[in-house]
Amino acid sequence: MSEPFIKIENLSYLYEDDSVDNSPALEGLSLEITKGEFVAVLGHNGSGKSTLAKLLNMILTPTKGKIIIDGKDITSEALSDDDVLSLRRTVGMVFQNPDNQLVATIVEDDVAFGLENLGIPSDEIRRRVDEALSDFGMLEYAKHEPHRLSGGQKQRVAIAGVMAMRPECVIFDESTAMLDPLGRKEVLDSILKLNREKQVTVIMITHYMDEAALADRIVVLNDGKMLIDGTPSEVFEKERMLLDAGLAIPQCTELVHRLRDSGIVLDGDCVDLDDCVELIANSIKII
Amino acid sequence: MSDVRIEDLSYFHAKGTPYEIKALDEIALHIREGKITGIIGHTGSGKSTLVQMFNGILKPHSGRVLLAGEDIWKKPKDIRKVRFKVGLVMQYPEYQLFEETVYKDIAFGPKNMGLKDDEIDACVKEAAEFSDLSEELFDKSPFDLSGGQKRRVAIAGIIAMRPDILVLDEPAAGLDPRGRTAIFQNIVDYQKKSGRTVVIVSHSMEDMAKYCDDLVVMSEGKILLCGECREVFSHAEILESVGLDVPQATKLLLALKSRGFDVDCGALTVDEALEQIKKLYHN
Amino acid sequence: MSGISFGQYYPARSLLHRLDPRIKIILTLLYIICSFMCKNIISYALLLFSAIILVIIGRVPVRIILKGLKGVLFILLFTAVLNIFWTTGDSLLWQWKFISIYAEGLYAALFIMIRISVLIIGTGMLLTYTTTPIALTNAIEDLLSPLKKLHVPVHSFAMMMTIALRFIPTLSEECERIMTAQKARGADFSSGGLIQRAKALIPVLIPLFVSAFNRAGDLATAMECRCYNGGEGRTRMNVRHLRFVDFIPLIVIIAFGAGLITLNILGIGYTA
Repeated sequence: MSEPFIKIENLSYLYEDDSVDNSPALEGLSLEITKGEFVAVLGHNGSGKSTLAKLLNMILTPTKGKIIIDGKDITSEALSDDDVLSLRRTVGMVFQNPDNQLVATIVEDDVAFGLENLGIPSDEIRRRVDEALSDFGMLEYAKHEPHRLSGGQKQRVAIAGVMAMRPECVIFDESTAMLDPLGRKEVLDSILKLNREKQVTVIMITHYMDEAALADRIVVLNDGKMLIDGTPSEVFEKERMLLDAGLAIPQCTELVHRLRDSGIVLDGDCVDLDDCVELIANSIKII
Repeated sequence: MSDVRIEDLSYFHAKGTPYEIKALDEIALHIREGKITGIIGHTGSGKSTLVQMFNGILKPHSGRVLLAGEDIWKKPKDIRKVRFKVGLVMQYPEYQLFEETVYKDIAFGPKNMGLKDDEIDACVKEAAEFSDLSEELFDKSPFDLSGGQKRRVAIAGIIAMRPDILVLDEPAAGLDPRGRTAIFQNIVDYQKKSGRTVVIVSHSMEDMAKYCDDLVVMSEGKILLCGECREVFSHAEILESVGLDVPQATKLLLALKSRGFDVDCGALTVDEALEQIKKLYHN
Repeated sequence: MSGISFGQYYPARSLLHRLDPRIKIILTLLYIICSFMCKNIISYALLLFSAIILVIIGRVPVRIILKGLKGVLFILLFTAVLNIFWTTGDSLLWQWKFISIYAEGLYAALFIMIRISVLIIGTGMLLTYTTTPIALTNAIEDLLSPLKKLHVPVHSFAMMMTIALRFIPTLSEECERIMTAQKARGADFSSGGLIQRAKALIPVLIPLFVSAFNRAGDLATAMECRCYNGGEGRTRMNVRHLRFVDFIPLIVIIAFGAGLITLNILGIGYTA
């Protein structure tokens, strides 16, 4: 294993609030993420997952603990403006509401926004914008107005805008929560693409189990603490813990678990539908 | 109590402009009294437009909407009365909250109906109970509540009008699994306790399968399938042909069937699928 | 619906659409000056002719132009009537009791009508019909950029304009959605007196403001995450370099103005 790209050490955050039962939004979270990994952070609303996102993009500063990205301590007060800019360039963010993150009135201008901020020469911006738009299938919409696009298309524009800055890591903060099934699929395909083809590290915050199943690794948060950390199949094994944490497991995984409970032997992983069909079909044939 | 009947209804967006789009294309439909009917379809299939016909927010360009046998547009001046009979909860309804307190916000609808104060009070309390909101929240500002609570306050604001028919457009959109289950359970309980008609618009097949009696499937402004839930889901291939997902449990059985196993693919829930698969082992 | 077109940009391919927006702004200013230099019937005829030429080059349908004029039809007629009845002169044409019409009055009415319509058509053709609002904003920023030295926040104003243009359709859609939601709760926006109607808007305005503030917060965060740091050190994707060809229209319009002045000096035809 190489040196972790993101290292979270004993991270805690407490919202300032006068109420008596004010418990920390995050408590003693430690996590290491290597370059190129695809990590899903899973949890119900209020589990601390959005607080984590806000800490990672430096909107909040932790009450306790440290976050080190690419060797730099982002929680340090000694961070210079240039350091902040370079960190924001290295770690891109895509947010939940597609309407509230597009700045420009024309798609290609929006994709160019970050690059313009970085002071990149015009012809280089042009090249990168066209490349990012075509990578995420939005080139034909380059001259469109964002408000006429579908939710999924808007998110793809946002992704293209982040990717044009050539980040090493992209954080998706519930970027599919407001989309319909088609839009979700568009965004998930884009996430897989940038992770698999561009080797970008992905942190995907979500409450959808079936989305988390696409990741290399799932981190489940509950009440601000780490509950489970493992591969999708390891995580889905722990049905009881997931249900207690207010999460649902996919129907097919539930089915396999219940077949096992009733004494049927099914060996192997069951993360998605195909796994599940395979498992059941094979076990019946053996009988 | 009442049912809704739609007759040859057509509607165009931006009618009379170059951008004219046929949103609803000669729809005919019957929503049964005292049942939960689900309306499912993609974005742009016309499902949200259709439910805005039920309470007269939109006026059909041709065809009729019959509420308990009566054309709602017979007296266009009285259309506001229809809105109290058919309560429509829009998508992301928490964006409609505006009052200083939860109580006042829920009371907005009943107040518009011109009810007396004690009647309003009774409506608000009843609606809060249906929506699982404790009376301690009444004096709070709706803007201080959590996302799930805000949504429930907004739904209570419609239930408080004691509508004969409750229509909800994507009531669980954007909520986490716990929030989804809670909202749907509330709706089912409401229907059971009140015996009133409920219509739910959604694109989650699994939720529809779990909670609805009848199902209407829309595609490109037309009704593709409609009938009792089980019957509709038995046409899995039609559903998949327009890109709609059948529940995973149903998909699993279909996959097994295509591999030559003898299963009945009508199962909708995990329990039913489990039974089917267990049978395979026993044979 | 979302069909509200902001500005009146009419998409087409034409010389005017292609012209550098900065040049177009200067052209517009010069054109306005020209219109005020007209003094006699021939120069007004030329002015009207120039507006027609602009419409032809700009390839904007006459129907759209007329629609634009329809909005000011009342003002046009009103000023014309005022001029006809209130201008006095030497050549009395018609009199009835205390109403008298002079030839000067008719000319004045004709001239004012030509000037107003030409101003509307001209600025429309040179700017709003042929330039997207965003290109216009950028051009204004460029032209005003010398003011940055005087610490005028030119970039911030331009950014504000851009964001406003981006969010107007989003917020108008949102407004419509909230109105529908409140109508479903029995809100009545269309009856009652002025005060009652204003009151009925409260349930729409409060949620609209709340949502606008939330959006503003989200947007600020998103912009910061995309390295926005104010205007300093920013570059642009689309930089237009002015070439000699871009200056030709300026030469043409200056010549046009000079021609008008010459006509005034020569004083051919009726002169106001």
